[in-house]
Amino acid sequence: MSSPLLSIRNLKKTYDKHKTYALNGIDIEFDAGEFVVVIGPSGAGKSTFIRCINRMIDSSAGEIVFDGVHMEQIKGRSLKMQRANIGMIFQHYNLIDRVNVIKNVLYGRLGKMSLFRSTLGLYSAEDKREAYDLLKKVGLEEHIYKRASALSGGQMQRVGICRAIVQQPKLLLADEPIASLDPQSANVVMDQIKEITTERNLTCIVNLHQVDFAKKYASRIVGIKDGLVVFDGKPTELTEDMIAHIYKGKEEQMTLASQQHQVELSDKEVSSYA
Amino acid sequence: MRNEIENADLALSTVNRWKTSLIVLLVAAIIIGAFILLEINPWSAFIAVPEFIAFFVNNFLPPNFDNINKYVPLIVDTILFAVVGTYISAVLGLLFGILLSEQTNRFAWLRFTVRFVLSFLRNVPVLAWAALLVYIFGIGNMVGLIALILATLGFLARSYSESINEIAGSKLEALKACGASYWQIIIHGLIPQFIPAWINWTLFSFEINMRASAILGMVGAGGIGIMIQTNMRLFKYHEALSLIIILAAMVLITEYCTNKLRKLIH
Repeated sequence: MSSPLLSIRNLKKTYDKHKTYALNGIDIEFDAGEFVVVIGPSGAGKSTFIRCINRMIDSSAGEIVFDGVHMEQIKGRSLKMQRANIGMIFQHYNLIDRVNVIKNVLYGRLGKMSLFRSTLGLYSAEDKREAYDLLKKVGLEEHIYKRASALSGGQMQRVGICRAIVQQPKLLLADEPIASLDPQSANVVMDQIKEITTERNLTCIVNLHQVDFAKKYASRIVGIKDGLVVFDGKPTELTEDMIAHIYKGKEEQMTLASQQHQVELSDKEVSSYA
Repeated sequence: MRNEIENADLALSTVNRWKTSLIVLLVAAIIIGAFILLEINPWSAFIAVPEFIAFFVNNFLPPNFDNINKYVPLIVDTILFAVVGTYISAVLGLLFGILLSEQTNRFAWLRFTVRFVLSFLRNVPVLAWAALLVYIFGIGNMVGLIALILATLGFLARSYSESINEIAGSKLEALKACGASYWQIIIHGLIPQFIPAWINWTLFSFEINMRASAILGMVGAGGIGIMIQTNMRLFKYHEALSLIIILAAMVLITEYCTNKLRKLIH
């Protein structure tokens, strides 16, 4: 048995000097090629958890060993080099919206380029080909010279996927990638994440709060509640009781469909006031 | 429950009304006090208006544009002051704006130092800078330019840093996450997003600088201002008026052009 790609031991994070913990001692390991979906209601610590892995947030205690490197100990250049090996997809896409699509994708290469080359736009021919091929794969080859701000939400997220993949990462993190999308775009985006990671045997950790999507795509589901792992297993092992336990008091967040329903309801309220 | 809320609202609105009356009274007292202390009689100022108009009509009208050719180089100087001054401040301002924003400069002591120096630059009026620099460097064009740059730099760096604060955050997080370095994040993330704000603030300060560069000459710092001053002192009011009209036209044309430019840029 080879060592896991990512192993996390006793990970803790407090934002208010040890009064309350967003993460309260997480122990977990991830192997290469897994498609892990982390579920839990908002505020459970999913976002903090995923951001501690690539040190977008610094943890308060514990160990994060990624690819044999203690992430919590490195800084400066070696931290950037490790980050370059971890792709990330965001809820709000986080594209540079005044820059065109192909450049946004090529920005994924910045971590592996010198300032001199990136400033002059000297991306290698391979990088450019790879960026183009990826955009073609997600169906955006006609939009490559458009500004990112001219795209729809679903299209922006597909650019976000390409930017993460062009890094040639060993691990892909996705923080609520479909939370701002309509159900149809959400399906497209999740399909593409799943397809690309499967093709490349890429380990992927996705935060989702919609259980239906988690069950559909995950090879393994991790449930987080109040900063602790309360479930870790196959999608088939996730029982209704367990779901109810994880989402206790926040049941309305469980599915995208019920969320849409909520939105419609609140729309109705608004229109009845008008 | 509902009643309690309404009562609370009522109590609050009474307090607010008291506050408003107090503020109105205070402002009125300050204004009246200022008139008394300065020994200004508003009435005599008011009855002097017809006299003022008569003086203006008799002495200034019509404007005399005969010597205008003589002034063209000075007018060009004035415009170039504003252009070059704004240009240099825009470049330096970006640098200081980055140093001033806590999103892009992590060193608190450096931020504090830069903020202190820039507040000083900003809070000294451009005419005071010009008057001061004339004593140091003597009369000349260079003085006006330096004065403009100093005053504009303080203003622009601060405005830029506020815009930078708004941009930084989530969008730049993505570049950080893929391992980009500090300067890569600034060059590839911050600057593209910053360009509209950069242009807007710079155009705004260009308008201000057009006005400022027109009066810089009054303290001997170059430009058209000196000729307005000289003509007034020689009682050549008709000629002075022609220059004032040209100045006003310059400012209006500038505003028209900057507004057009703003619409072109998104």
